[in-house]
Amino acid sequence: MKYITKLGGEEREFTIERHGDGLRARCGETVYALDLALVGDGATFSLLVDGRSYDVVADVQREQVLLQMLGERFVVHVEDERERAAHAVAGHKQGGKRELRASMPGIVVDVKVEQGSEVAEGQTLVVLEAMKMQNPLTAETAGKVTRVLCKKGEAVAAGALLLELE
Amino acid sequence: MLSRYPSTRNMPPIRRILVANRGEIALRVIRTAQEMGIETVAVYSDADRTALHVRRASRAVHLGGNKPSESYLDIEKVVAAARATGCDALHPGYGFLSENEDAAQACIDAGIEFLGPNPKAILLMGDKVEARKIAMQAGVPLVPGLQEDVDEAHLVQAAKQVGYPVMLKAAAGGGGKGIRIVREEKELLEAFHMARAEAKGAFGDDRVYLEKFVTRPRHVEIQIMADKHGGVVFYGERECSVQRRHQKLVEESPCAALTPEVRAQMGKAACDLARAVNYVGAGTVEFLLSEGKFYFLEMNTRLQVEHPVTEMRFGVDLVREQIRIGAGERVSPVAEPRGHSIEVRVNAEDPDTYFPSLGRITRLNLPGGPGVRLDSALYRGLEVTPYYDSMLAKLVVHGENREQAIARCERALRELRIVGVSTSLPVALRTLQSDEFRSGDYDTGILERLDRKPPAARRELAMLAAAATRFLFAERAGARAAESTATGRDAAPRWATLGRIERLRRSAP
Repeated sequence: MKYITKLGGEEREFTIERHGDGLRARCGETVYALDLALVGDGATFSLLVDGRSYDVVADVQREQVLLQMLGERFVVHVEDERERAAHAVAGHKQGGKRELRASMPGIVVDVKVEQGSEVAEGQTLVVLEAMKMQNPLTAETAGKVTRVLCKKGEAVAAGALLLELE
Repeated sequence: MLSRYPSTRNMPPIRRILVANRGEIALRVIRTAQEMGIETVAVYSDADRTALHVRRASRAVHLGGNKPSESYLDIEKVVAAARATGCDALHPGYGFLSENEDAAQACIDAGIEFLGPNPKAILLMGDKVEARKIAMQAGVPLVPGLQEDVDEAHLVQAAKQVGYPVMLKAAAGGGGKGIRIVREEKELLEAFHMARAEAKGAFGDDRVYLEKFVTRPRHVEIQIMADKHGGVVFYGERECSVQRRHQKLVEESPCAALTPEVRAQMGKAACDLARAVNYVGAGTVEFLLSEGKFYFLEMNTRLQVEHPVTEMRFGVDLVREQIRIGAGERVSPVAEPRGHSIEVRVNAEDPDTYFPSLGRITRLNLPGGPGVRLDSALYRGLEVTPYYDSMLAKLVVHGENREQAIARCERALRELRIVGVSTSLPVALRTLQSDEFRSGDYDTGILERLDRKPPAARRELAMLAAAATRFLFAERAGARAAESTATGRDAAPRWATLGRIERLRRSAP
């Protein structure tokens, strides 16, 4: 499976597949031998990359992965190739219209934009609290907010439409 | 480690202490009191019913609402709680009532020992103008300049006397407003008019004073301890230049820029100032250090957040000293300092915007191993609320030398993991890894210059790890879906599967 990952302004594409007991990831010319094991607590992973060991706490919220590793905190956007294709089709159908939907059931703790706001790629649009974790939902591309369909304090179901952008 | 102190056997008129604080500092005081066989009474707000300081104290008294003004800042309620529970002493911690002369007076009136200085000393040192006057009389160096409002006629001459660069500051100022730096005489008058206008606009008061501009200042402070018999000692210095908007983030001791001579002078100045106000208890005198010269900033009449840096290096328990002094004993002799110690404050805040981050602590890994101390009131399930300070913990390490202490601190920072709120940990880590910090040659501007972006190799690794976790989740979700189809149940939607994984992990111990 191909994954397109975004962090800050950078983008990397990884092809990941099962290989023997572990995984193999390819990024351009580079090949990594991976072994990823879920620790008993269900959110911590032991990750071996070419034999190097990393302790990772990961919170996967659909396409958003919140990581704590190496004493750092990262919010990485990860799309698999099917999602990317679906987004491309959706984007095409709507003539450039985009939707921001709730990735999980939760509470809207902050709406950082209003109708007509110009947003930059990666900018936080809505902060959703789910499972007592605050998750910033960010703009995938630069654009303009055309409709705001949620408000602060509101409980929303998974998949609920929060904003429309173009 | 504590055996060198005079015996406390004949001592205590202090048998029970009210701890008028919350969070890690309340716990810090409770720990020492317990070791000394002294009972503790915690006080708490509605929000803090299940806080660690309540659970660890011998007794607890409910004060009221969540707002500090309804609980920890309410002198009447706090002192009434101390009386009702038969306390002989009150420890104010830091913040809240610690530098409040009315609280100190209320304790005296109630016959309760306030573990801090007398109300007069709190009052004098709390007034910046008054404090500078006393410092000047006590021979403590001040930043050269004019204390009073300057007018145009005297300005040029005064600036020449002080020496360029000079700084023009609004008398009513604060927060960096109304400050102008002037490097040459020809810029002086224009800057003066601008500073006046800015001061008028910001504070409604156009008085401006002139001071020497201290280049690349370091913030270095002296820990003092004074008893009721006139004995005053100092426990070296703490270097606190890693700060932003006057909020310290990393502190260390010793300070790399201090020679033994200057250290001795600073220590003497701090002790002289303490004597000048008949100071009792723990106190800190803050100085600016620049090009080998030091200037008085202010005196904090309390135990400070960063006191463990001193404790680790001098093998002293400063809270124990406070309690002993409160009971009328003399200051203990100061031991030779050993090695190097560093403290990192862990704040619940967004590492990019510095905004407070609220939420429930869902996961917690605490660091351990040699030379590591963690002062915190954290526990899994703790709700970080907007009512109080955002500091969650203090990580303090001690090493044989600075290099080892930095390495140890980095190692411990990687072990410390707090999930549920964002923390300032990445900024602290980046600071420790920066060439500027490592060189030891830094000043209060270090955080502004810091490149806070993680190195490329780490970002790459994070992207790889994120993709791999999604791969694993998808694989597991696929397996579950296949399994439930096989057993005839409907395949659950993907988010529901993830939700189930989430619930499973939340129910894990």
